[in-house]
Amino acid sequence: MRRKAQATGVDMRLGPRPGEIIDRSRGLTFTWDGDTYPAYRGDTITSALAAAGVRVMSRSFKYHRPRGVMTTSYLDPGCLVQVGDEPNVRASHRMVEPGMSARPQNAWPSLRYDVKSANGALAPFLSAGFYYKTFMRPKRLWPAYERVLRGFSPGGAVSPEAAHDYYDKRYAHPDVVVAGGGPAGMAAAVAAAAAGAAVMLVEGEPELGGHLRWGAAPELAALGDLRRAVAATGGIEVLTDSVVTGRYDGNWVAVVQRSAPGVVERLIKARAGVLVAAPGLIERPYVFSGNDIPGVMLSTGARRLINLWAVKPGERAVVLTANSSGDAAVCDLADAGVDVLKIVDARSGEDVVRAKGGRTLRAVECADGTTVECDLLVTAVGWTAPTSLLNMAGDRPVYNERAARFFPGGGHDDVLATGGIAGDGSLEQLIDHGSAVGRAAARRAHEVSATTEIPSLPVEAHPALFKARTHGFVDFSEDVSSKELEEAVAEGYDSIELAKRYTTATMGPAQGKLESVNAVAVVAAATGATIAATGTTVWRPPYSPVTLGALAGRSFEPVRYSPMQPWHEAHGAKPLVAGQWIRPDHYGDPAAEVRSVRSGVGLIDVTPLGKFDLRGPDVPKLLNQLYINKWSKLALGSVRYGVMCAEDGVVLDDGVTGRLGDDHYLMTATSSGAETVWEWIESWLQTEHPEWRVHVARVTSDFASINIAGPRARDLLSLVVDDVALGPEEFPYMRVRSGSIAGIDGSFMWRIGFTGELSYEIHVPASYGLGVWETLLERGADLGVKPFGVEAQRILRLEKGHLIVGQDTDGLTRAYGAGLDWAVKLDKEDFAGKPELGWQEGRDDFLRLVGLRPLEGTAVPAEGSQIVEAGIIVGRITSSRMSPTLGRSICMGFVAPHLAEPGSAISIVAPDGSRVPAVVTPQLAQVDPKGERLHG
Amino acid sequence: MAEPAVIARSPITPAEPPSVVDGWEVSGRRSGAGLTLVDCMPLAKILVRAAPDGAVGRWLGTPFGRAGTNPDGVLVTGSGPDEWTLFGPHGSGRALVGAVEDLSGERELVSALDVTHGRTLMRLTGAAARPLLSKLCAVDLGNAVSPNSAVFRSSVAKVITDVVRDDRSGVPSYLVHCERSYGSYLFGALLDAGAEFGIEVDGYTSTEMRGV
Repeated sequence: MRRKAQATGVDMRLGPRPGEIIDRSRGLTFTWDGDTYPAYRGDTITSALAAAGVRVMSRSFKYHRPRGVMTTSYLDPGCLVQVGDEPNVRASHRMVEPGMSARPQNAWPSLRYDVKSANGALAPFLSAGFYYKTFMRPKRLWPAYERVLRGFSPGGAVSPEAAHDYYDKRYAHPDVVVAGGGPAGMAAAVAAAAAGAAVMLVEGEPELGGHLRWGAAPELAALGDLRRAVAATGGIEVLTDSVVTGRYDGNWVAVVQRSAPGVVERLIKARAGVLVAAPGLIERPYVFSGNDIPGVMLSTGARRLINLWAVKPGERAVVLTANSSGDAAVCDLADAGVDVLKIVDARSGEDVVRAKGGRTLRAVECADGTTVECDLLVTAVGWTAPTSLLNMAGDRPVYNERAARFFPGGGHDDVLATGGIAGDGSLEQLIDHGSAVGRAAARRAHEVSATTEIPSLPVEAHPALFKARTHGFVDFSEDVSSKELEEAVAEGYDSIELAKRYTTATMGPAQGKLESVNAVAVVAAATGATIAATGTTVWRPPYSPVTLGALAGRSFEPVRYSPMQPWHEAHGAKPLVAGQWIRPDHYGDPAAEVRSVRSGVGLIDVTPLGKFDLRGPDVPKLLNQLYINKWSKLALGSVRYGVMCAEDGVVLDDGVTGRLGDDHYLMTATSSGAETVWEWIESWLQTEHPEWRVHVARVTSDFASINIAGPRARDLLSLVVDDVALGPEEFPYMRVRSGSIAGIDGSFMWRIGFTGELSYEIHVPASYGLGVWETLLERGADLGVKPFGVEAQRILRLEKGHLIVGQDTDGLTRAYGAGLDWAVKLDKEDFAGKPELGWQEGRDDFLRLVGLRPLEGTAVPAEGSQIVEAGIIVGRITSSRMSPTLGRSICMGFVAPHLAEPGSAISIVAPDGSRVPAVVTPQLAQVDPKGERLHG
Repeated sequence: MAEPAVIARSPITPAEPPSVVDGWEVSGRRSGAGLTLVDCMPLAKILVRAAPDGAVGRWLGTPFGRAGTNPDGVLVTGSGPDEWTLFGPHGSGRALVGAVEDLSGERELVSALDVTHGRTLMRLTGAAARPLLSKLCAVDLGNAVSPNSAVFRSSVAKVITDVVRDDRSGVPSYLVHCERSYGSYLFGALLDAGAEFGIEVDGYTSTEMRGV
């Protein structure tokens, strides 16, 4: 059935071809620029459009020239399109799907009539460096320039409302990664796997086969044999439509898998024993006037269009050939019914001068003076060896004049090359070479032999053809012409690396694979140097552009939950993200929660508190080393508050440690500082004092921790504890007891207080945490028990004057500055930070942490507000809240030493610039400074 | 005082239908999928620190990086250079701690800590268990590096995690355990990574209560 496109009325689809990859039994339609087109499964966007006679696929980046298919491959520089919400889609690579909506890019208002194509008329003025030279002055106008220039920026568009897709990552550890699934690559994979290696075979096209896929009957027969061999050989993971984008130190190889089931793209991080580069050769375009007009194609492009998708690339053709690929194209064109009007054989010195046309090719002017009217010009002038992956291993390509292309420099044990980049030869020779490389790779990966000899491939002579006598485009992606490159050299950019950066040649989406050798040849000709002496630009990762989605992959952001989290969620707690923990900030009214604690009893989930189980006879030595205060005489059942400083005397963390047994202690640290404290402990034990007999285990998650606070705290606890005496004499302040809580053995109770109220911190085995929490609330209903969140706790502790490390201290706060003078015991033999604190003790030039009370009780200066005196910053607010207990605002902050005396008047500058006068309080605590409630 | 019947709960919400087995809330789901994930939270887990060449180290008999089952059916995993994690039947924690402490001599520093409630333990079983884990963990899971009984600690979905390869009747199976507070997140990350392999949550049975 013929499937003529209604939009064009043209049908260029051929009858069935032996190697075609379209499924004629599965027709479909898609839209291009708003019109509906027919296609078959297996068609790419451009093959389907070409079958409908569409010639112009997009407009170029800079001059908005009409562009069409050239390579019919991923590299096609004129075929970047928008598909749905996805910009910059490679239309010669992306398969059409039913209902797909594709649109051209870089064209306004339409692909046919693009207003910005007026840039082409300005081409003489838009030479290399135009932007650098033109928009430098006047400097003040740059914002205006920028707005205009952004309107000319190329590419598609992404909607902020675009749905997120599933991008993925995975790790792999193959013995051998073969980059390229052509004949040599397949042979290498089979040989390596047969030698016992685990092989990852990566091919950019949707199928294995390389150039065999669009070859004649013998090539197709060989292709079948090789595919069968791959399938029959165990140990080969085949990744098609995938690309090795980079090789890094240690043969860390990045592979982007483009069409894995269920994911858009997957980044595979493979640690390869040996990397085999087998990317094949890339056909070079020829530089001449009009070489970008739609209808000018490479020989491989025309052959792929005919043989893979059964599309006739034109009606009347001229073929410029310098090699067997061009000769084969002549045969394929004739076989496809194309009228080959003229064969220009470059091997005989023949040449083309220019192509003529606008939106499509109309004629070709040849060097012999003839002009041939035609709609297709096929060129076959040579090859580029994409040695990128080898370059990433340190290889520097070497130019071979005989073959007129670069070859790998060689000399790597864990990165090998095979196929076209390594040399020429018959198909059998390439397969044999691939097999030898595969065997060597397996031996090297298994460290059987590091220097296995690999036979060389022959190098065939090829004419050195880069540019005709007219100027044309060198870089089709960036619209850089040979004339611009010559002008760059004339301006002094006479090194290929400088010329590249000045003109942006080789820096577009094709990343030099089509244009780098031509750019080198043009620069060499302009400087008078040889191509070999000119060298190449350096190919760096990525080998092929990588989407941000592939780089991002899945988002792994661990979160930690307390056992009581389901209750918090069910009771409307507002979540607070505290590092990785999700905590209840409040349950609706933090001030009411504060009042509930002050007047009755409240519960707070403090599970995130860092907890460490310490055992061994040398624990006191460890504690003395970590804390600035003394620990040698901590009695059994007692708890002590401790402050840790780093070696520079800066406050690191604080917490309490209780003695549970003769050689058994439980230490707590702040929620946010727990990981730091763990590393700090292990650092001392593993590197400074490995002789100390101490075992430390992190038990933060082992216990559900609940603080019961308020004047009725003891009453509430007594409802769930019956094997521990809770009276003030039996269980006084700063003591720890173990026992059963709500019937749960292995629980601990600490009598400590952060809120300033009578309080008990209970720790129950975590699996029972939710049950105990619910039991406390249920049994304490008559006592009016209420849960309170982190915000209420922060208010309560500020009222009581307890500092929070990291909130009321910073990376410069030493112990004396934080008002911790009482804890510093310089008479201890040693502790972390002792020298620095000894030094600070004798000084008087540091800020002091003080309590502050704004004169206007309704003013709550924002935390971080500066304290100024005569225009000079003399401190800052570290904590501030409205106190529900006092009915006024209270603060804590740092002030200069001369302002630290109680009663000192200070001036706070709020973020809006207003002044808030305040006075220094006698002590940090502004509620119950004598601690009567705490000791109740 | 009549104590309330406080049941033990895993950090992972049990898949429907929930049930209570031996005081633990567990999932009663039964899956026949080729790739399953089971929350094994109730199993006893004991963290042991001791010198590898001491009495306890010799008794445990499992070197760092390997796992083995002792005659009592306890899985002993060498989780650190001087550290082991033991997995025993539900409720066996206290006995295991006692057994270790009984072996420790006067001169040897030995600690045995029941971390049953502090570690989330899951079992991932199926032919696709390895490719699933390779999406979350950079360690080489191939047989040459990580054969059956291999034990390692690494980042899994960015959480410090202990992984024990403990195949079941020739089917690849991994015990995965981390700090309890990360359990819900890690369980979700494993299910997310396993979606393309058809992973299903399987329930926890009283049979499994007897050990790993």
